[in-house]
Amino acid sequence: MKRFLIVLRYELREYFSSKVFMVLTAVLALAGIILLFLPRFVDMSGFTGVNVIGKADEAQEETDPGERPLLLYVDQTGIVQPEILQQMFPDADLQEAADAQALIDSVEAQEAQAGFLVTGETACEYYVYNKSMTDSNSAVFEQAMKMFYRMEYCRQQGWDLAEITAMYDVPVTVTEQILNKDSGSNYWYCYVLVIVVFMLIAYYGQMIAVSVTNEKSNRAIEVLVTSTSPNSLLFGKVIAGAIGGVFQMGVILGAALISYQLNREQWGGMLDMFLHVPGDVLLAFAFFGLGGYLFYAFLFGAMGALVSKTEDVSKSVSGLMVVIMAVYFFSLLQLMDVDGPIIKVLSFLPVSSYSTMFARMAMGSVALWEVALSFLILVASIIGTGMLGAKLYRMGTLRYGNPIKIGTALKDLRKSE
Amino acid sequence: MWGLDITVESGGQKMKLEVKNIRKSFGDKEVLHGIDFQVESGKALGLLGRNGAGKTTTIRILMDVFHANSGEILLEGKKFVPGKHSIGYLPEERGLYPKRTVIDQMIYLACLRGMNPKEAKESAKKWLARLEVSEYETKKLETLSKGNQQKVQLAATLVSNPEIVILDEPFSGLDPVNSQILKDVVNELIAENRIVIFSSHQMSYVEEFCDEIAIINQGEVVLAGRLKEIKKEYGKNRLMLAAEDCSLEELARKVEREWADLARVSDRKKEFLILELKEGADRRGLLAALARSDVEIEKFGGYEPSLNDIFVEKVGEEE
Repeated sequence: MKRFLIVLRYELREYFSSKVFMVLTAVLALAGIILLFLPRFVDMSGFTGVNVIGKADEAQEETDPGERPLLLYVDQTGIVQPEILQQMFPDADLQEAADAQALIDSVEAQEAQAGFLVTGETACEYYVYNKSMTDSNSAVFEQAMKMFYRMEYCRQQGWDLAEITAMYDVPVTVTEQILNKDSGSNYWYCYVLVIVVFMLIAYYGQMIAVSVTNEKSNRAIEVLVTSTSPNSLLFGKVIAGAIGGVFQMGVILGAALISYQLNREQWGGMLDMFLHVPGDVLLAFAFFGLGGYLFYAFLFGAMGALVSKTEDVSKSVSGLMVVIMAVYFFSLLQLMDVDGPIIKVLSFLPVSSYSTMFARMAMGSVALWEVALSFLILVASIIGTGMLGAKLYRMGTLRYGNPIKIGTALKDLRKSE
Repeated sequence: MWGLDITVESGGQKMKLEVKNIRKSFGDKEVLHGIDFQVESGKALGLLGRNGAGKTTTIRILMDVFHANSGEILLEGKKFVPGKHSIGYLPEERGLYPKRTVIDQMIYLACLRGMNPKEAKESAKKWLARLEVSEYETKKLETLSKGNQQKVQLAATLVSNPEIVILDEPFSGLDPVNSQILKDVVNELIAENRIVIFSSHQMSYVEEFCDEIAIINQGEVVLAGRLKEIKKEYGKNRLMLAAEDCSLEELARKVEREWADLARVSDRKKEFLILELKEGADRRGLLAALARSDVEIEKFGGYEPSLNDIFVEKVGEEE
């Protein structure tokens, strides 16, 4: 145990003294915080649909009328109502041009930002010098034209436009009473968490395999295995990788979740589907995610010991990666059918329960005994892979030369026992 | 089967490490067929053998990295448990962490071998100073020259003040000045009554340090014992001969033509022939025959073979 702790401490220093690791963690966490705090300081009402109290008025007051863009129009039909048009373009100055040519000249000279030539009751031309990606003038003008047409039509027919509009847009109140899970709103954060745990396993698993192979290729293993037990070395390395991974993911994910909670009102709840994760789901994610990570990390460590050169690591871990990728795709596919038989089976297998069980907990119906059984199987499997990984590690570390196939390694292991 | 004794005296107490009839197989192939030797503290054992002879496997079994299929290792007559003793191992394939600082990894290794961090730091500093590489203690290993990396590796071997020191090709890659430092350190280890097992192909170093040798060939100890006695045994009935007035080729022909009943030429060195007396002949008789001839003798005397000669002869014989 003492030696394991020494290895753990040494390996952890590798992570926490790495500038790349710490800077990347800080930068990603900060980027998340800054992004999620943006609506507090910047008017994002166009995106979020939420006006930050006081901010919109201030913004309007601060706008110098001289700086408001000029929009011109020429009405060849007499349908346009200037007051209504101005209301629909609150941030621009609407002016009527003398004729079509004057409108085009102004736009070409960039005196006006854009211009509309109304050629019929339901037709107009839009003139703009450079059309930007976010230019929505023509869409707004189209709405205005529709309104003018309806008003004119109702006037001719003697109908009351307000009455017709009220009849068409009659509000209907639907109150949802969800008695168990809301799959619609839980789907996206489950999706995100499945990706997160997949990345954690694939990225840190490979790092552990490379780290083990590095010790073989630089021959440090010769000294290490004669100084302590292979079990201490492998367990220290894997647990250090787990702590490093959980720290990094925890900081980044934690920063994002907390920042969003603090700014949820400003976002109008629009990111709830990704970032408003219930505590029990987060807890299940933490336990099953960590369990799944450890399950694979021991195997990654053992695979790293079966090769002598870092360029052979990807080949050695390719079998594991295929399993992880398959689990990833099946998990995402099965999110659409969380109470189906396939995901139920997957949620008990240690190779896949890390992503499927918490998804079932978040979106479907799952009994407590099922969660407990699945976790028990996962824990037992971690112990199993830990022991197997340590044996493969012990056998592989001092065998140099060509990569050892996993089948050969297991056969040799059986023989030696 | 050959037997050999090496014993250690640590803190005034002699220790003896015995390797008894060790057998080891990898798969269906037996690579060690009953390795048998002993080592005492205060002496160095030269463990010799060609590449692939089984030296490293023997060392790894000694250090519990591999398990023997049969046989036993005893220290002071009791089962040797490597985890309970401090062992310093300098592997032939050098290796530490290139991207970590020298002092960091030395402290790490010392702690793994049972020291507390404070002791480990003090010991690391002591050994770095002893091997004259203190100035590099905060440098990353990869920034050091090959010779200095080698010295750091040796310091890492000795950082836990081991009772048993196993040095595999310790002099490879060292310049003459650094070799001298290492020689002094090895002599100190022997003088401090530690068990030293010394494996090398550089026979001159083995001759310099080792009182005892064990030559392993194809998984078997083919020769073991006190080096002095082995040399004496191998030099028995051997003489060196050189003449002033004829070349070694002419002299060899003369020996075969005129004194074939007394001796035969067993080898030829740069400056003299090595003759082996035939059964019934003696040194006096050969000298008398030489005196009667017209040969102007330049060199005549008993020949003591070098360890290199013994090694080549013994291992070559077994091929």
